[in-house]
Amino acid sequence: MVPCALLALLRGEVLVNPGAFRLERPSFPLVVSTMIHSLFLINSSGDIFLEKHWKSVVSRSVCDYFFEAQERATEAENVPPVIPTPHHYLLSVYRHKIFFVAVIQTEVPPLFVIEFLHRVVDTFQDYFGVCSEPVIKDNVVVVYEVLEEMLDNGFPLATESNILKELIKPPTILRTVVNTITGSTNVGDQLPTGQLSVVPWRRTGVKYTNNEAYFDVIEEIDAIIDKSGSTITAEIQGVIDACVKLTGMPDLTLSFMNPRLLDDVSFHPCVRFKRWESERTLSFIPPDGNFRLLSYHVSAQNLVAIPVYVKHNISFRDSSSLGRFEITVGPKQTMGKTVEGVIVLSQMHRGVLNMSLTPSQGTHTFDPVTKMLSWDVGKINPQKLPSLKGTMSLQAGASKPDENPTVNLQFKIQQLAISGLKVNRLDMYGEKYKPFKGIKYMTKAGKFQVRT
Amino acid sequence: MPYLGSEDVVKELKKALCNPHIQADRLRYRNVIQRVIRHMTQGLDMSCVFMEMVKASATVDIVQKKLVYLYMCTYAPLKPDLALLAINTLCKDCSDPNPMVRGLALRSMCSLRMPGVQEYIQQPVLNGLRDKASYVRRVAVLGCAKMHNLHGDSEVDGALVNELYSLLRDQDPIVVVNCLRSLEEILKHEGGVVINKPIAHHLLNRMSKLNQWGQAEVLNYLLRYQPRSEEELFDILNLLDSFLKSSSPGVVIGATKLFLILAKKFPHVQTDVLVRVKGPLLAACSSESRELCFVALCHVRQILHSLPGHFSSHYKKFFCSYWEPHYIKLQKVEVLCELVNDENVQQVLEELQGYCTDVSVDFAQAAIFAIGGIARTYTDQCVQILTELLGLRQEHITTVVVQTFRDLVWLCPQCTEAVCQALPGCEENIQDSEGKQALIWLLGIHGERIPNAPYVLEDFVENVKSETFPAVKMELLTALLRLFLSRPAECQDMLGRLLYYCIEEEKDMAVRDRGLFYYRLLLLGIDEVKRILCSPKSDPSLRLLEDQPERPVNSWASDFNTLVPVYGKAHWATIFKCQRTEHCGPELPHTASFVPSGHLISEENKERVQELPDTEALMLIPNCQLTAEYFEKTWRSLQVVHQQVLPWQGEIHPDTLQMALQVVNIQTIAISRVGAQPWKAYLSAQDATGCLFLTELLLEPENSKMQISVKQSETRTEILSSFISVLETVIGTIGDMKS
Repeated sequence: MVPCALLALLRGEVLVNPGAFRLERPSFPLVVSTMIHSLFLINSSGDIFLEKHWKSVVSRSVCDYFFEAQERATEAENVPPVIPTPHHYLLSVYRHKIFFVAVIQTEVPPLFVIEFLHRVVDTFQDYFGVCSEPVIKDNVVVVYEVLEEMLDNGFPLATESNILKELIKPPTILRTVVNTITGSTNVGDQLPTGQLSVVPWRRTGVKYTNNEAYFDVIEEIDAIIDKSGSTITAEIQGVIDACVKLTGMPDLTLSFMNPRLLDDVSFHPCVRFKRWESERTLSFIPPDGNFRLLSYHVSAQNLVAIPVYVKHNISFRDSSSLGRFEITVGPKQTMGKTVEGVIVLSQMHRGVLNMSLTPSQGTHTFDPVTKMLSWDVGKINPQKLPSLKGTMSLQAGASKPDENPTVNLQFKIQQLAISGLKVNRLDMYGEKYKPFKGIKYMTKAGKFQVRT
Repeated sequence: MPYLGSEDVVKELKKALCNPHIQADRLRYRNVIQRVIRHMTQGLDMSCVFMEMVKASATVDIVQKKLVYLYMCTYAPLKPDLALLAINTLCKDCSDPNPMVRGLALRSMCSLRMPGVQEYIQQPVLNGLRDKASYVRRVAVLGCAKMHNLHGDSEVDGALVNELYSLLRDQDPIVVVNCLRSLEEILKHEGGVVINKPIAHHLLNRMSKLNQWGQAEVLNYLLRYQPRSEEELFDILNLLDSFLKSSSPGVVIGATKLFLILAKKFPHVQTDVLVRVKGPLLAACSSESRELCFVALCHVRQILHSLPGHFSSHYKKFFCSYWEPHYIKLQKVEVLCELVNDENVQQVLEELQGYCTDVSVDFAQAAIFAIGGIARTYTDQCVQILTELLGLRQEHITTVVVQTFRDLVWLCPQCTEAVCQALPGCEENIQDSEGKQALIWLLGIHGERIPNAPYVLEDFVENVKSETFPAVKMELLTALLRLFLSRPAECQDMLGRLLYYCIEEEKDMAVRDRGLFYYRLLLLGIDEVKRILCSPKSDPSLRLLEDQPERPVNSWASDFNTLVPVYGKAHWATIFKCQRTEHCGPELPHTASFVPSGHLISEENKERVQELPDTEALMLIPNCQLTAEYFEKTWRSLQVVHQQVLPWQGEIHPDTLQMALQVVNIQTIAISRVGAQPWKAYLSAQDATGCLFLTELLLEPENSKMQISVKQSETRTEILSSFISVLETVIGTIGDMKS
């Protein structure tokens, strides 16, 4: 926080600012050892339901510091991701209502650990379809096996999901049944061939009867729109996710109609960077299966099109305990495509007791405890704009709220990349067959917020 | 760890494991084992079935093997003698034709963590290093480190180290990275793995073959390598270029750090690389993962210390959206506060103003403090916003606004008038200690401009009995005395009442002493009170000091991509030290007995101090009043002539220290408040000949040491040593009193 100790110090009878004579402290030795000492999985009510230690066993009591922080942060999302304790640091990520808490004992690059924790969650999700407490508990043995292969002595080892899946087969209902009947195991008894390939991200000897390569261009708009409808900030975060099932060692080239649109790009390690620098085309030997080819940003320099608008009229009268509430959602710059999957969320003021509203379409709910209004709109029909109108009643004696609620918007637009990005062509070299190629576009709302 | 009802479960499982019918049925047997593991993972103590589990390890079923190994690794330290029974099976598995089984057995064996296992694992590990399957080599390489740890860190096996160094050329990238990790651990007492030119170049060439984790770690190891020539340096930087565009933020930041460190003599290259990672860093700041955002924001703040304008054009990226977690919002507000400039100040202030009424009290207060920070440069606009906020009459807002006002008038006296006009009425909406103190301070020091100041203070005096915070009472005493000097008629009566209360009824000793002190001061006459109490009301010159100068990139480059930007160095230092003491046993006891003679310096033996034999040559003159600016100027221009370290434990009491120093005619120019880390004080003294002694005291609580640095305006060693002995005596005495 800003109130610096300095100023407090300056106000008394004392005068000089000692900060002016700052002393350099010695820096720490650069010794890097064990990254992750232990991992605890904690649910939002504060129970440890899984623990794994890679070096010595760290007592569960270390999590007490985490619980303290959890209690202090009224909501789970607000638990800080780095918590210092007298002997350790606790780095955590919160996903699917589970905290993945890593115990760290030496200086580590924090981004590294956080990225790794996210990778662990992604892997679980990939293995079990969903990553939730009951699922992890049901599959605890597989979870242990996976963690054992992902980390050794606290260092990340195999984290590529397709290589892991060869080491430990994911449980499927079918396989569980078959295993029960035949007594066979869910461990691959063959060593994954991919590990010996010269291209580290692709195994050798891949064979498919149908050769297919699909690319999804997905863009999310993050925006803050102010009261009057003008854009305060807007940017597009895009990714190209690929699902490539091609035989052999294909070498792909993907080019764009308008590569200059991409502001700030980061690539999967398979992409040849020099080629992008010189020709602005993506050239790569793809990994087998699903992977994220690149992610990019389109922001400030290029004007971002905002596909929807919100008209609102939310007001309280000074004397009465009733207020008016009216919201209309409409399409703006959608290039003729339909906006669908629209959901409007708004956190109402604490003083609001109840709301009586009528939607012109869709369903709405208001939770009087959390004061959360949610309206599932569905599709927007430009001829008949969806609206939600009615009144809100204030708690008796509550004062008129100082500010109006913020509206959070979710929506989807199929077959459109809102930045205008278009793939020009996809070519394959190195193999003789003709693959089936497909490219899909989609635009979604990211953190899309309208102030009222 | 034992949980209620776990005994029955253990008993039942033990019976099941021994049941020959179950043992004969592979599936049922494995199910029982799975249940054991399941309970183990939930924290139940399953060590009682160790014997049965060891038996279960002799099987061809690889899943069952895995499970049993997992179990053994967890409980082996508790049952070392039983665990030795399992070694045979493990050794046999280490030569299984299936590389998976070999790797698994080797890994489990190395993870047993029990004494006496070393002799069994040495041969399998060495064989593993030459295994044809990379899977086994990976395990064996890390096994070397585990083996070394089991030996109790005693000796470094030279042959093994050489073997590992040669395995850096292995064709499997993970084996290479594991070699680095393993060497690092084995050689940790010698400073870790050595990165010489061939190794560095080899690693750089292999970089693109590594996975992101490997890349991030190798980038970290490469920090140790110092290129021989400029040409080599730039070759390396060129090779690293593509990693600045990696999809993994960890690799991007790692590469940035390496750039910054390698190019430490080329500031333009450093700036250039910071410009180039701006994009990726901003992307990370709006990443899907909250945790990544947070850490990225911390790094942005770090960069802003050196390049204040760096992110100014992107200020909108740091606007908070409603649904973000608090820790991100708080970071963003800090960033906004730091990147304000003439062009964006209007928009940033409007945005911050919106946050001030947020439902979250912490966030709203942080936003107000941020506006207070910006007010040091853009005073008028900010004071107006802050004044408007007072109109909301919300307790948590008013208290923080008043605190910002207090800090502000000190640095920007031009806003005093506006602040004084805004203050009336605030007292109704302040309940907490900090806010009350701030308000009372303002009323005391600028009371002559606030018409109703005495009456507000009177309310506080009326309610002083029910006041819970001693700090508020202290502040009230000082403020009222100050106001009494400018508006005696209105204050005299209540000052009398307050002093009476503080001296006769107050139970808090500090408050009582302060009351007595002022009472005695008043007895000396009003002129004396004025001389002592009327310190300057503001000091705009300090603003230059307060605004942190741009720090060179090199001052933080080595902290980049560590936990320091997130949590500060001091904290890590404590953890680091705790670990060290854990390993090395308690350090030598810190004794205070070193202190020479234990004079309790007080008013009575003031003379004696000056008559101590070795201080004869030194006559410090009283009332040497140096201004802060003059002190600072002199301090900067002089060299340290003497430096020494005294032991010190626990907190310091600035008041006591200051008083004791006053007795020997050493003036305190500035002093940190209690608990500040590092704690500092600046002292000055002048002897009869006009020679100045400037002193800095630096207390680092984690080291239990007080460092004294003395500068002298004329070089005269004999009086210097006298001065130091006086200083030593005072500090020693105070240290003694406490213990």
